[in-house]
Amino acid sequence: MRLVAYLLPRIAAALITLFGVSLLVFLSLRLLPGGYADILLGPFVTPEARAIIAQRYGLDQPLVVQYMRWAGAMLSGDFGVSMVTQRPVIAEFLRRAPVTLQLALIALGVALAAGYPLGVLSGVRAGAQRKKRDFGRLVGAMGASVPDFVLGSVLIFVFSVWSLWFRVGGYVPFTADPVGNIRSMMLPGLTLSVFGVALILRTTRDAVLRVMTEPHITAAVARGASPGTIIRRHILRNAAIPVVTVTATYFGFLLGGAVIVEVLFSIPGVGLYIFNGLLNRDYAIVQAGVLLAAVVFITINMLADILYALIDPRVGAVR
Amino acid sequence: MTARLLKTRRLDGLSLFGLITLGILLFLGIFGPLLPLGDPTRIAAGPRLDAPSPHFPFGTDELGRDFLPRVVQGIRATFLLSAIAVAITAVIGTLLGLMAGYLGRTTDQAIARGADILFAFPALVAGLLVAAVIGPGQVSAITVISIATLPLFIRVVRSVTLGVAGRGFVTAAEVAGASALRVMLVHLLPNVMGAVMVQLTYALSIGMIIESALSFLGLGVQPPDASLGSLLRQGSGYLTIAPWMVLSAGVVLSLAIMSVNLVGDAVRDALEPLKGRPLT
Amino acid sequence: MSRAVVDINDLVIGYDTGTRQVRALDGVDLTVFADETLAIVGESGSGKTTLGMAAGRLLPPEAQVLGGRITVCGVEVTQADDPTLRQLRHDRLGFVFQNPTSALDPTMRISRQVALAMGGRPGSQAIAELLARAELSEPDRILHAFPHELSGGMAQRVVIAMAIARNPELLIADEPTASLDASIRARVMTTLGKLRAESAASLVILSHDLSLIARHADRVAVMYGGRIVELGPAAAVLDAPAHPYTRALLAAAAGNEEPGERLRPIPGTPPVLAGRAEACAFAPRCLFREARCEAERPEARAFAGRDVVCHRAEAVIASDAPPRQEVR
Repeated sequence: MRLVAYLLPRIAAALITLFGVSLLVFLSLRLLPGGYADILLGPFVTPEARAIIAQRYGLDQPLVVQYMRWAGAMLSGDFGVSMVTQRPVIAEFLRRAPVTLQLALIALGVALAAGYPLGVLSGVRAGAQRKKRDFGRLVGAMGASVPDFVLGSVLIFVFSVWSLWFRVGGYVPFTADPVGNIRSMMLPGLTLSVFGVALILRTTRDAVLRVMTEPHITAAVARGASPGTIIRRHILRNAAIPVVTVTATYFGFLLGGAVIVEVLFSIPGVGLYIFNGLLNRDYAIVQAGVLLAAVVFITINMLADILYALIDPRVGAVR
Repeated sequence: MTARLLKTRRLDGLSLFGLITLGILLFLGIFGPLLPLGDPTRIAAGPRLDAPSPHFPFGTDELGRDFLPRVVQGIRATFLLSAIAVAITAVIGTLLGLMAGYLGRTTDQAIARGADILFAFPALVAGLLVAAVIGPGQVSAITVISIATLPLFIRVVRSVTLGVAGRGFVTAAEVAGASALRVMLVHLLPNVMGAVMVQLTYALSIGMIIESALSFLGLGVQPPDASLGSLLRQGSGYLTIAPWMVLSAGVVLSLAIMSVNLVGDAVRDALEPLKGRPLT
Repeated sequence: MSRAVVDINDLVIGYDTGTRQVRALDGVDLTVFADETLAIVGESGSGKTTLGMAAGRLLPPEAQVLGGRITVCGVEVTQADDPTLRQLRHDRLGFVFQNPTSALDPTMRISRQVALAMGGRPGSQAIAELLARAELSEPDRILHAFPHELSGGMAQRVVIAMAIARNPELLIADEPTASLDASIRARVMTTLGKLRAESAASLVILSHDLSLIARHADRVAVMYGGRIVELGPAAAVLDAPAHPYTRALLAAAAGNEEPGERLRPIPGTPPVLAGRAEACAFAPRCLFREARCEAERPEARAFAGRDVVCHRAEAVIASDAPPRQEVR
């Protein structure tokens, strides 16, 4: 009951956000000079093609009607047709989604596995000693400061000069060669994870520091609980609450398409597809990409809200 | 706030490193064109793709241009673009955040939803859309940075405003008949400035990452202009035979972002001192 | 008297605020005996919380012990190593804090928190019995609740139950009822007193509320400016105060306070000491002051059945007119 009462407004807000996103994408592509047909077909458009497009998308209709038709098409899974291949865009997205998902999962896994424990350690140390200077801050500052394309470029250089076990460029599908797949995905995954490690480390560190100022930690110390017990029983759970939110945001961004890393390492995921769509002026792909990324992002954040409510019993309580 | 920053007796090593690095980079960015570093656009100033040497500390590019002044030019462009974008965004975001937090109700709902909507666009994917609509270039980069950082300002300012709006001095001003605009600008704005300053540094570092990423993809700064990102793009074509281009631009870019982040941390630590306790 | 549980000698504690030193305790001597209830009374800023927390070495890192010793149950607290101290807290000390809701982990059900405090793997029967000892009605329902679902009074009884879970020799309660409704304060105090008597433990209550603790304490220590200015049997001190500050506190507490109101009994504010006070810290607010009070630090002396730190104690105890309050 509590969960339902908490979630209903959130679902409503998510739907409104989704509506806003779609409206923004729709308008940004319609209201600009040149018109939708030009954007869709490029500048060298024949009148015939223009007429077909106008008919198909109802460009002679009022904007509201156009939006309804457009949104209706999206809702029924019709995200348009690629100009280059003349095939439905959505099919291509679905085909590439697992690649991006795998990349995102590697990055998320590394980010959590490294960032969370380091953040807890750094936070506990910093809190206990009131020291601002510690490894957590250094690692956090470095990880958040080296852009993925810089790190990726350096990794590509290192691993292509000394061809170590990892493979640079040349994506291998998992189904064709699992080991080869891992070899080709690890470097991009790691590159992508560095920002996440820093993000989760910093969030965890701040959360731990904040929890450590709470009176119930002093109370636990006063009961004679050991530091290990206090960390395990009290700090980890309380500090996890903000980490859930940030992790969801990060995962949402990863799934939206790790454009840079996919371009850099030639990983045929969603991000590379959208980027190539832009280069080929295949705007149906860009439009669908942005919409899908936003949908995924909003959905992931919804799931995080549910998880949040499960971890923190205060959520949704009458205050 | 600067006073409070200075009053923190021990400015630790990392913060000091950040301040000094930022100072040097800003100096280079602002006065770079006046320094005797050579002409960043002169073709065949030296051999093509020449490795770093005392004469060309950062080597040369594929047209024989001295890469050091190119990097200095890039620092200028990267800082300038991000700073312009973040400054504009900070003003708009602060005003919207004040309105959301103080006026409440429908205004709050509308602004909060608007922030959610902008926040739902992953920055680079949004960058691709913007590039598709208005074409690659600096305006495009500024737009994308604004989309990505506006929600940060709105959310932070809104929550600080909510915390302050119920205090006595605000009520006193209202009772004295101050207009909503006056309350927001005279009474609430000074109270949110600390939080805005902290967000400003983080937004600047995000802005620099986005600018350089877009330029790296060829969607931001266009040749013959150069930003650190576009230099990386240029260098990545010669990565295996002339790694100094990617390395020099990459290291300088990373240092630039890191210095901004470290200064941001220092500002935040000064505004909200660390409190914790030993677990023993 | 009986055995000493706490023995504090010339304790001096300062806080390093980053920009300056503030002295919170300015030479405190105090003994707490077994099986007694001692109330330490003073305004906020008088140093009573610092004193209470120092007994368990629970002060934040910026607090520094500048001198003196604290011996609790035979352990020299300022010198002990961490395991010894943890053992001391675990086996012999119990703390009750001002705000019970924030003293409980918000993400954990009451049953688990109480079980952690009891140690081992107590069954829910044992947990419920402990809660019943703290006079919680419906312990079974409370077991499954989260802290935010409890009222302040119920939460404080849970905190008390956790504090007595291992039968401590010393209970320290810092403003145990300050955050509670006035209507239940006395009942919580009674519970605390009953539990203390059952286990023959010592109870130290830190409070600003003289009238509340008057009925529950055997002895009263009044703190001002980081020192204990008057210490003696509750009856003696409350009936005939020998320190002007105690006298002013009593006058202010004589029924003219609103329920729940924090007392600001005496004009002026407590001092913030930068170092050792070389005069009477209360002199600027004192109705009895004379030249000597502003020149010479008063030392504790036995007088009229208590210890008092005042040059003018004779005059104070002799005066029977209600103290007039005037702002200097």
